[in-house]
Amino acid sequence: MDKTSKGIQTLSTHCSYKTKFAFRFLRSLMKLKKQHQPISSSSSSSMELIHKRSQRIKMLAYSSIAHAAGPRRAWSRAILFKLQSRARHHYFTRKRSSLDSKTKQKKILKNKRVMRNHNIIRAGSTSRVTRETKQMKKLREIVPGGKEMDICSLFDETAHYVKCLSMQVQVMQAIADRFSK
Amino acid sequence: MEMSGHENEDVGFQHRSESILNCPSSGMSTTHLPEKVSGMTMSSLSIFKPSNGADPFFASAWDPIVSLSQSENFGDSSMVSHGELSNPPYPVVLENQGMNSTSHLVQYPSDSSFVEMVPKLPCFGSGSFSEMVGSFGLAECSGIANTGCPPKYTLHKEKATERASPIGAQSHDGRETEDGGIGSSSSGKRRKRALDSSSPFSPNKNAEGEQHKDLSGESSDVMKDHEEKKHKAEENTSGNIRNKQTGKQSKDSSHSEEAPKENYIHVRARRGQATNSHSLAERVRREKISERMRLLQELVPGCNKITGKAVMLDEIINYVQSLQQQVEFLSMKLATVNPELNIDIERILSKDILNSRGGNGAIFGFGPGINSSQPYQHGIFQGTLPTVPSTSPQYTSLPQTVLDNELQGLFHMGFDSSSAIDNLGANGLLKPEL
Repeated sequence: MDKTSKGIQTLSTHCSYKTKFAFRFLRSLMKLKKQHQPISSSSSSSMELIHKRSQRIKMLAYSSIAHAAGPRRAWSRAILFKLQSRARHHYFTRKRSSLDSKTKQKKILKNKRVMRNHNIIRAGSTSRVTRETKQMKKLREIVPGGKEMDICSLFDETAHYVKCLSMQVQVMQAIADRFSK
Repeated sequence: MEMSGHENEDVGFQHRSESILNCPSSGMSTTHLPEKVSGMTMSSLSIFKPSNGADPFFASAWDPIVSLSQSENFGDSSMVSHGELSNPPYPVVLENQGMNSTSHLVQYPSDSSFVEMVPKLPCFGSGSFSEMVGSFGLAECSGIANTGCPPKYTLHKEKATERASPIGAQSHDGRETEDGGIGSSSSGKRRKRALDSSSPFSPNKNAEGEQHKDLSGESSDVMKDHEEKKHKAEENTSGNIRNKQTGKQSKDSSHSEEAPKENYIHVRARRGQATNSHSLAERVRREKISERMRLLQELVPGCNKITGKAVMLDEIINYVQSLQQQVEFLSMKLATVNPELNIDIERILSKDILNSRGGNGAIFGFGPGINSSQPYQHGIFQGTLPTVPSTSPQYTSLPQTVLDNELQGLFHMGFDSSSAIDNLGANGLLKPEL
């Protein structure tokens, strides 16, 4: 449909996407940096710390790009939802700080996931397992929110996601270069 | 080969459509035809409706096709066949619910001329069904008063304009109308009748007539089912595509470039292909998917030469995975970097980031609010991978400058403290997302 191609072509707004992403990401990075102390030595603990920080930065990056892309896109919505649910999960677990609640939360999340998968499987799966279907499965896993989309919109979302991802990589690269100088 | 066949058919069709245009007994000049025809079709539609259920062959002499005529031209004979082939059991719209009248009209089989008109089933891409319908509707305008049928037959407009060139087959048209009246008597086998009647009846009909017959048989089912099922408009793109293609193929002088504003998808069964509604829908779906694949192909660098869905999908998956790995790697890199909380650095950083693609010329020609209108894609996609040096700064310089200006403007707003960052961030975030 025209909307698809137009929506992808008018990622013009790639210009504004970039700005939004850059600003948001930088802001959150600054906040993060203020909270943490600079890494001095590369001990094992610092490695873990680095790993942890990198995970957080990655989440920040995805959150930034999802916000920049706006709620109009399914993949950005999926990312935001995932982050929010994860934040909620963390909040609850931290609040309770008990194993029971953690396991309960995990179970709940797991059940939701399982149910969703079951629904998807029932919804319209063909029994034919071809190479293409495997690829489709893989694509669905990769693209956020792709598990519950039909093929047409999956491609559409993939295209938009690829655009935004590439832009994200570019900006992050520039930031990293800048910081490392 | 299919295309060539279509072209041939199109040519033949055009002739036919022209004849049909001139046909109306009202004797309207072809130039004025569309308006009059539409008027007539309206009236005819209204008349036709009531009888639709019982006997598709309307006893009156007017043409069901007239109702279709929203379009200026009688472009495609396909409409004719469409109309004819729709059997009484399916009095419902062939095309669209909006097009009720047209469907009724289409069912007007008796017109032999229509049968011949049916000829080609342009491939999905090549011709819009709606076009054909439209042209068809215009074909027969009996002198029925215009009752003001709701002009929903948007389809036809483009078809008519594209196809129908005023050719003087007026006599032919006249014959058709008469036949139309007669045709109502037959029931059931409209299709056959049309086919039979068409054979003797085509003065202009060339060898394509036979082709049309075959096609008509196919098309009716296709059209009918298709019409019933599809109401919505993905059509715009497909319609536009078809429009253009028909425009190219048709030799009529009056090829309008207006895009058909259909609200439903018109699909035409290709010659020699199954006309089952399911297969049609399948085909439409496949076309959509392949279109999306093409878009993806453009996005992923280095995939221009790849043909084949499976390979392309592999490439896409690899590309997305590599991008995600890059993000992870960069985030790790950023985690190890010592934070520099200097604000100047951030400002420079923003500049660099936003201008990372390429030589940012200091062109201050644009105001801050223009960014979204710039064709930014090329610049962005060229340097997608950080490792790939951007080799075409000319694309990026323009949007970069715009963005840069905007940023500079923002920066100059008093960016001297961390609060300014928040302002900037707020500005960035408060921009309308889409």
